[in-house]
Amino acid sequence: MASTLPVLLNTSDKKSRYFDRWWLLLIGVILLIIGLIVFKPDPFKRILFFVSDGIGVTIYTTLVSFVIVLIFGLITGLGRLSKISIIRAVTTIYVEVVRGIPLLVQLMFWYFAFPSIIQGLGEMISIETLAKYRANPIFMAILGLSFCYSAYMSEVYRAGIQSISRGQMEAARSLGMTYFQAMRFVILPQALRVILPPVGNEFITLLKDSSLVSVVAVADITRRGREFMAANFIPVDTWVMVALLYLVLTLFSARIVTWIERKTKLER
Amino acid sequence: MEAIIQIENVHKHFGNVQALRGVSLNIEKGEVVVIIGPSGSGKSTLLRCINRLEEFDSGKIVVDGIPLDSAENINAVRTEVGMVFQQFNLFPHLNVLENLTLAQTVVRKRNKAEAYENAIMLLEKVGIPEKAQNYPLQLSGGQQQRVAIARALAMNPKIMLFDEPTSALDPEMIQEVLDVMLALAKEGMTMVVVSHEMGFSRAAANRAILMDEGQIIEEGPPELLFSHPKHDRTKLFLSKILS
Repeated sequence: MASTLPVLLNTSDKKSRYFDRWWLLLIGVILLIIGLIVFKPDPFKRILFFVSDGIGVTIYTTLVSFVIVLIFGLITGLGRLSKISIIRAVTTIYVEVVRGIPLLVQLMFWYFAFPSIIQGLGEMISIETLAKYRANPIFMAILGLSFCYSAYMSEVYRAGIQSISRGQMEAARSLGMTYFQAMRFVILPQALRVILPPVGNEFITLLKDSSLVSVVAVADITRRGREFMAANFIPVDTWVMVALLYLVLTLFSARIVTWIERKTKLER
Repeated sequence: MEAIIQIENVHKHFGNVQALRGVSLNIEKGEVVVIIGPSGSGKSTLLRCINRLEEFDSGKIVVDGIPLDSAENINAVRTEVGMVFQQFNLFPHLNVLENLTLAQTVVRKRNKAEAYENAIMLLEKVGIPEKAQNYPLQLSGGQQQRVAIARALAMNPKIMLFDEPTSALDPEMIQEVLDVMLALAKEGMTMVVVSHEMGFSRAAANRAILMDEGQIIEEGPPELLFSHPKHDRTKLFLSKILS
């Protein structure tokens, strides 16, 4: 954060002269955490130390999933707009099915059911590596989150692309550009500006929903919190600390999204 | 000499609406053709069929010897045919210069310096070199349309299509766009213009065409068509727009 503040306060550019006051809320929450640790190190410092490795896991799981979601969601979104009916049908079924099943159930499926299917398949066609397949918790968690959120994100992309007037595509095509050149140089740069707020929203929701991976053996913030509580049984302090840590991550993300939004506004 | 645009018995419908009912038209190289007609008469549709922004159901269109059938041919034709739209359709996320150089570098594979030089030259031609660094939304409608013309010209097209280029403009900006089009016509550019600007037609057009209900009703030199229309529908339409 320290490195982004000077950029925010950069006065050379009209767009960045404005200071986003909501940073103060984030600073407030951070100060609250520091205050709790300093004035009541037992148990708050102990909790923070215990769950700190979970922070990295949460951030890692969220970021990796989100990168996959950005790419796979775009492909699916373009598929939903395709002129070819079979592509449109396949992507639509994917989106509708995935949207209709709770994320928690999907994560359970990927971690518990999917490996079992692979093993069964391996035994059937007698390939030993498949029969002995063991699920890697983080891998399956990222797979589950990405698979689900790509469906949501494809709808965001689709709406964004459809919000750009048809004249833009026509102008690009009339200059001889191919469909993909027009998408890349004309439509997507404009659509991305439109969808930035909902994309940011998806990121924050994904960050929070990543807490669900704690039930499929991933040691994220939430799971570490549960482990600490089980060992020490101080529920109030533990969950206050966990909640504050999530709040720091989400508030920080929200500010970054706002900052990018302002940076990419259309000139007029 | 063979016509640069050959349109043969083209039909097109949107749902139940028959937009074009067997239109045939040949346009010679260097000719300026103005198409007029009431709204819904199919004049814009015909124009958009020439570079295949609109697909037609039956018939044949050959542009500069290239039939519009395969995807490659359509792209080949589009690089030879410039199009100017009623709503300008400039790319709002790019500045004027980038609007002019994008397709040159991406489609024509020109290098940056060459594209840049060409762009500056064209901006001078349409009279707004000082706006090179501005964004489209910072320009007036007339300026935007002139940039749009320059953007189309940057591809060195052999044919220019104008789809009601002045209809979205405030009255005081119409002339600056027409002046650019007039200069282009004088240089010998082949132009097909959907427009009700009688002054422009009289000054620049070799031929005026009246379309109604998806058909060509009457054609002839603009002076003759406007002052001595033969067909009743032409008379009716002209009386409406001239009053």
